[in-house]
Amino acid sequence: MVRKILVVDDEVGFTKLLKMNLEKTGQYEVRVENESTKALTTAHEFLPDIVLLDIVMPGMDGGDVAAQMQDDPMLRNIPVIMMTALVSQEETSQDAVAQAGAMNILPKPVNLEVLLRCLEEAFASEAGE
Amino acid sequence: MEKNEFQQQGGEEWKRAGRQSNIDQHSSGVAYLETVIDNLPVGLFAKDASDSFRFVLWNKKQEEITSIPCEQALGKNDYELFSPDSAKYFRQVDELVIARKRKFEVSEEIIDTPESGEVWLHTIKVPIDDVEGQRTLVVGISEDITEQVHAREQLAALNENLTEANQQLQVTQMQLIQAEKMESVGRLAAGVAHEVKNPLALLLLGVEYLSGGIDPCDPNVEDILTEMREAVERADKIIRGLVDFSSQRQLAMELTQLPDLIEHSLLLVRHELKKGNVEVDACYEEGLPDLQIDCAKFEQVLVNLLINAVHAMEDRVKPKIEIQVSAAKLEGIERDEGLRTAHHLRNGDDVVLLKLKDNGGGISDENLQKIFDPFFTTKATGIGTGLGLPVVRKIVELHNGWIDVKNRLLGGVQITITLKVPKSEAERIDM
Ligand SMILES: Nc1ncnc2c1ncn2[C@@H]1O[C@H](COP(=O)(O)OP(=O)(O)O)[C@@H](O)[C@H]1O
Ligand SMILES: [Mg+2]
Repeated sequence: MVRKILVVDDEVGFTKLLKMNLEKTGQYEVRVENESTKALTTAHEFLPDIVLLDIVMPGMDGGDVAAQMQDDPMLRNIPVIMMTALVSQEETSQDAVAQAGAMNILPKPVNLEVLLRCLEEAFASEAGE
Repeated sequence: MEKNEFQQQGGEEWKRAGRQSNIDQHSSGVAYLETVIDNLPVGLFAKDASDSFRFVLWNKKQEEITSIPCEQALGKNDYELFSPDSAKYFRQVDELVIARKRKFEVSEEIIDTPESGEVWLHTIKVPIDDVEGQRTLVVGISEDITEQVHAREQLAALNENLTEANQQLQVTQMQLIQAEKMESVGRLAAGVAHEVKNPLALLLLGVEYLSGGIDPCDPNVEDILTEMREAVERADKIIRGLVDFSSQRQLAMELTQLPDLIEHSLLLVRHELKKGNVEVDACYEEGLPDLQIDCAKFEQVLVNLLINAVHAMEDRVKPKIEIQVSAAKLEGIERDEGLRTAHHLRNGDDVVLLKLKDNGGGISDENLQKIFDPFFTTKATGIGTGLGLPVVRKIVELHNGWIDVKNRLLGGVQITITLKVPKSEAERIDM
């Protein structure tokens, strides 16, 4: 079964390569949204199984996107994994992650193997519920 | 006494100029002349050239200057009154005056006096033929300029101290500028690291993709390689930007396009702008002249101003920075305004104006007076040092420019930096 992943990140090149890598596995269908302000609309349209969310983005940051998803009955239950290139501890604190309703946070540069494992886990726990 | 004999032989007026003359015995005209001579504010003396330059006149001021009383001076020559060196010099001048029959001015000469020590004189000597007495006189006027000379020496010493202090100050200022820059570098480093991590993340994904084995028919491969190459270039540009920015160099002016420099600076603070969700609207007039700029230092100016703007707009819904660069002819400077730059900027000069506007909270009238004071900050420790704007101003001054900070009518701050277009460029434009 092909799972749908929505990637919200303003880094065009990065998202393009992420999509290629994920789709190469044959297990995922990936949609990229580079403009965070359009993330909700795209999510409604695409109805992904999981969202990969960058934290630092112009317009609306990852935290805002996650919070709005929480407020949206249609999107509330979609698991979110955050990604960030931020370096300092406080900015990547688990608190912030939990607050945003995300289940995990991955540091950039993202290790593909780790990401794939994360995705597996996310779907496994979902299936288990 | 020899002295009295001599006086009797001399012309009557001169004799009477001696202080012992009995005024009652002479006409009021002569008495009047005597009084005038004695009350002159300059030393007046006369020597008889035909009688081995013995003194025949020695007024009151001359007594004061030399600490030699008239009675003692009259009838004597320089060798009997002054040190051999001084006397020799005076005599040489006297002989010159007689030989050339012309006035001679000694703008500074020095005599040793028992009471006042070294006394500096400004002396003018003239030859006068005393027809009646059938002799030639050297008449001299001496002004005591000791105080002036001392004042001048002190001034020279002070000036030397001042020059030294000034040099020291300049060194210190350069150090301060560099210290402030390193502070900024520290603050920017996290953001710059973030900006570098993005291309690194892309590279890693590229490597992951390709390491699975390259399928020659896969259309993605070429695309990925292009992306990877661009990512390396981008990371390099960002890192190089920070390294160039932090380099410590002597002031090195080079002809530069201001917009290029602005774009570099925007790259350095890109992360801060993104985090603050700041929209940047930069508008550069076309065909701007090159300016003489020390790039690393001027980037420091721009980074400071941009970061200040970002800080000021933290609670804004739509934070926006507008940057405008345009060429203009300077006008509206009054003479007294901008005293410090009066040498450098004048009405009618070709200038480039850099305007940087934000829509933050603005600056209260009271604080507006203080923003250029070192260490004045309204920010928490760890965020503000209060050194940004003083350093900005110093650097702008090093560029012979002018900075103006004012509140915008509808909120926020507008900074204007005026920089003079170098002559060669100005001529090129006017052609
Ligand atoms: N664009 C701006 N908007 C509002 N206030 C400003 C702006 N720029 C500077 N200021 C004020 O001037 C003060 C001094 O600025 P600066 O010398 O750069 O030091 P710092 O930024 O470390 O506080 C700031 O603390 C702030 O109060
Ligand atoms: Mg500052």
